[in-house]
Amino acid sequence: MLQAARTSRLNIYTYSEVEDVSGFVGNFTVKIRKRARYITNDCNGCGACFEVCPAFGYNEFNEGMDSRKAIYVSFAQAVPSLAQIDMERCIKCELCKGVCELNAIDFDQKDEIIEIEVGSIVVATGWDEFEPPIGYLGFNKYPNVITQLKLERILAPNGPTMGHLVRPSDGKEPKRILFIQCVGSRDLNMNTYCSSGVCCMISIKNSKLIKQHYTDADISVAYMDMRAAGKDYEEYFTLSRKEGIKYIRTNISRIKEDPETHNLKIIMQNTLGSGGLKELEFDLVILSASMVPASGIKKIEKLLKLETSQDGFFKEFHARLNPIDTKIPGIVLAGVSQGPKSIVESIAQGRAAASSLARLMSKDKYRILLIRASVIKERCAKCGLCELNCPYNAINLKDDGAEVNEILCRGCGTCLANCPSEAITLRYYREPQYEKQIDAILEEV
Amino acid sequence: MAGTIRAQYPATLRPVRINCSGRVTPSLMMRAIGKGADGIVIGA
Repeated sequence: MLQAARTSRLNIYTYSEVEDVSGFVGNFTVKIRKRARYITNDCNGCGACFEVCPAFGYNEFNEGMDSRKAIYVSFAQAVPSLAQIDMERCIKCELCKGVCELNAIDFDQKDEIIEIEVGSIVVATGWDEFEPPIGYLGFNKYPNVITQLKLERILAPNGPTMGHLVRPSDGKEPKRILFIQCVGSRDLNMNTYCSSGVCCMISIKNSKLIKQHYTDADISVAYMDMRAAGKDYEEYFTLSRKEGIKYIRTNISRIKEDPETHNLKIIMQNTLGSGGLKELEFDLVILSASMVPASGIKKIEKLLKLETSQDGFFKEFHARLNPIDTKIPGIVLAGVSQGPKSIVESIAQGRAAASSLARLMSKDKYRILLIRASVIKERCAKCGLCELNCPYNAINLKDDGAEVNEILCRGCGTCLANCPSEAITLRYYREPQYEKQIDAILEEV
Repeated sequence: MAGTIRAQYPATLRPVRINCSGRVTPSLMMRAIGKGADGIVIGA
């Protein structure tokens, strides 16, 4: 990230949001709202202000498991290393202003809207962790049921417990740990898709990691199918089994909590073994929740006039032959914005997205086919049906009638089939041309 | 699909390329029927 920030021709807008996008390939205009940090760029991230700030907030970076001040840096390695003020938590005591040697604190800062011109756009909106309904498998009901993302923060050396694995209820080291797979995925009532084996591999990774540090830990993974598809993945899975991690093929029937110890009692049946339903006790349960599209995906979909597929991720040009481009030339997808995938696949797609655009942008010219819709303005009743039905957003209703953007238009003809005034024709595919073709074919009859 | 399953169509069928099945208007179909076509297949 730091290297990217130091590259001279690369501008990074953090803490910002895309407000509006107009134009077409080679000629996009993007409006960006730079949110007010209430800190100017003079800030060097020294952190003197954090110490004096008396107001606290949840630390979002650590999944709310510890606190930060109202004036804070989102996380230690944030780029650029600028502080920001959470105005919902700030009590406006202005103590920070007193200690800032660089006079970087500006309480009057406003959101700034900037406009930039770009030739092409990569959509890399990423993903969020699925939030199970409250009470589902004990989530948000029992303190010792956590999701995979929380575990990641607990295990991280810069996390809320400095990397010590402790359970939330009493801060003690858990000995019996259970991972539950496919929480919210491969489930007809929640998300029907599989998160591409990512949660399987994360569970294997984290169980191995825990085993490495706490060799006496008793770790089980409750799974539907372990999907270890990918280079070296199956070997990794085999290795974890050799290290003593138990894999139980099961569906969890019920999860109960011992109210005194906060231990979790799980009723399940090993569907590969005999013995029927069993009740097992665990100290900590980790839910492998599925990957879901990032929360802002609907807004970006609207702004860029893209489509999402049934799973909610962005729809690619072709699911198998071209998973990188979108239906709009000059806009490409990278990473999980297009569908759940691992880091390896995300990197591959990110580089493919870059080269797909480089091929487009390195030329001075952009070739289009001449098969394009054109409007006979005298006939246009300005009803707007064409604008509504155009899948490529190539038609805009102007004062003197509909107008086709020939670069965005793909010549599909949906507009002219919909036009009640027959005011739109498709170049080379006009009505008389078809009529002549039909007549010629049927001459011999 | 017809191609991948190696489906055969009668030699008397004459294709007309139209960019999108949304472009097929009733008037085009009526014209073909009127000129003596026995039927119309829309292969979307």
